[in-house]
Amino acid sequence: MESIAVGIGLAVGIAGLGVGIGQGLAANGGLQGMARQPEAGKQINNAMLLALVFLELVFILTFVIGILLVGKIH
Amino acid sequence: MDSFLHANLPLAEAAKSEGIGWNIFVYSGLTFAIVFGFVALARKGLKGRVYTSLPTRLAEHLFLFLEGMTVNVIGPQGRKFVPFLLALWSFIFVGNLMGLLLPETPTADWSLNIAMAVITVVYVQWEGIKANGLVGHIKHFAGPKLGGAMVVISGLIFVVEIISELMKLVSLSLRLYGNIHGGHLVRESLDTLIAGIPLGGLLLPLKFFTCIIQAFVWTILTCTYLAIATAHGHDDEHEGDHGGHGHEPELAHA
Amino acid sequence: MNKYGLIGLGVVLVIIGFAVKDQSWTRPEMFAGLELDLGKTITNIGVFLVFIPVITMYFYVPLKEAMDARNNELETTFTDVEQLRTQMQTMKSDYESRLSATEAEARTQIQSQIKEAQALRQQLVSEATERADTMIRQAQLEIDQEKAHAIATIRTHVVDLSLAAAEKVIGENMDSAKNRRLVEEYIDALEVAS
Repeated sequence: MESIAVGIGLAVGIAGLGVGIGQGLAANGGLQGMARQPEAGKQINNAMLLALVFLELVFILTFVIGILLVGKIH
Repeated sequence: MDSFLHANLPLAEAAKSEGIGWNIFVYSGLTFAIVFGFVALARKGLKGRVYTSLPTRLAEHLFLFLEGMTVNVIGPQGRKFVPFLLALWSFIFVGNLMGLLLPETPTADWSLNIAMAVITVVYVQWEGIKANGLVGHIKHFAGPKLGGAMVVISGLIFVVEIISELMKLVSLSLRLYGNIHGGHLVRESLDTLIAGIPLGGLLLPLKFFTCIIQAFVWTILTCTYLAIATAHGHDDEHEGDHGGHGHEPELAHA
Repeated sequence: MNKYGLIGLGVVLVIIGFAVKDQSWTRPEMFAGLELDLGKTITNIGVFLVFIPVITMYFYVPLKEAMDARNNELETTFTDVEQLRTQMQTMKSDYESRLSATEAEARTQIQSQIKEAQALRQQLVSEATERADTMIRQAQLEIDQEKAHAIATIRTHVVDLSLAAAEKVIGENMDSAKNRRLVEEYIDALEVAS
C-alpha cells in the first residue's frame, strides 16, 4: 500500500516536472513571438493559451489517476 | 506509514468521503441565481442610449469578448454561436468564482462537468450536421478522400476520429474538474499544514486567475471544435485557404 | 429543434435523472474517486438544456437588440452629423465668398475715396498757390508803385533843397527856371550813373 502512495507522489512529481518544462517552452515561444510581433499579439496569445491548456491536460490526467489511486490506499 | 497517511493527508480523506452528492444542486442553483440576478441588473441598464450601469457595461464587454473570440476563431459566420458560449461562459465563470469563497462549487463536480461537456459535444455535432448535412458530417470523420485499397485507412481514421470526439468529452470535463477540484484540495492541504492559519488563502490570486482562464478555455475550445465541425468541405487545397487556423486540426487530436 | 422543444427535453431529462437517483449503475466503481454519478449528470444535462435557451431569451436577445439599436442610432447620428457638416461647409464657403466680396468692395471704395481726397488736396493746394501768387504779385506791384512814388517825392525834395541851397549860395538874381533845369539835368545824370 505504501508503494501506491509513493507511486502517486512520483507520478505527480514527474508529470509536474515534464509539464512545467513543456509549458515553460510554450510560454517562451509565445512571449518571444509577441515581443517580436506585437501586432499579432492577440492571435499568438490565444494559440499560446490553447497550447498551455493542452499541456496542462497531461498533468490533469495524472492528477485524476492520482485521485483514483488514492482511493485504493486502505 | 499507513497511519501517517490517514491522519495527515487530506487527499485521502477527500477521496474517501462521500463527496458533495446531490447537494451540488444547492450550489448550482445558487450559481444560476447569481447569473440571473446579474442578468436582471444588466437588463435594467439597457434602456439608456449610453450604458452607464456597471452590470450592463460588463455584460456588453462579455458579449464583445465572446463575439470577438468567435469571429477570430470561426469567422464572421460564427456569430450565431455566441448565445451558447455566453451561457456556458457565465455559468463556468460564476461557478468558479463561487469556489473561491465557498467550500464547494458546482464546477468542481465531475458529474456536472460531464453534463456540460456532453452538451458542448452534442451541440458541436448538431451544428456540424446543420452546416454540412448528415452525410457530409459523417464523411468529415473519415478524413481526406482516399481511393482504392486506402479505404481501409479511411475506416481507421473514422474510428480514431470517433474516439477523439469521445476524448473531447473527457478532456473538457476533466480539465475543469482537475483545475477547480485540484485547487480545492491544495487549499485544504495548505489550511491543515499549520493549524489555525489559513495558508490556503495565499492561493486566492492564482485560483482567481484559474477561474478566468478555465471559463475562457472552455469557450475557446468549443469555438475551435465548432470551427472544425462547421468548416465546409475537407479537401486539402480548401484547407490551405484557412491558413490562419492551420493549428486547429493538430489541437483537436491533442 | 426550437427552444421550447429543448426546454421540454431538459425537463424530461431532469425527471429521469431524479428517477434513477438511487440506482447503483449510476455510480460506477471504476470512478469512485472522482465521485461520478450518472444520475446527476443526466439531471444536469436537463438543467443546462433549460438554462441555455432561457438565458438566451432572457439575456442574449435583449442585449443584442439593445446593442444593435444603439449601433443603428449611432450610425444615423453619424450620418446626421455628416450632413450637418456638409451643410456647414457650404455655408462657410458661402460666407467666405461673401466676406471676400465685401472686402473687395470696401477696398475699391476706400481707394476711390483716397483718390478723391488726393484730387481735392491737389486742387486746394493749387488754388492756394494761385492766390498766394496773385497776392505776391499785387504786393510787388504796390511796392513798386510806392517805391516810384517815394523816389519822385524824394527827388522833388532834393531838387527843392538843392535849389534852396543854390539860392542861398548864388543870390537872388539868378534865373531860377534856368538853374532848376541845370540841376535836374545833373540829377538825371546822377540817376543814370547810379
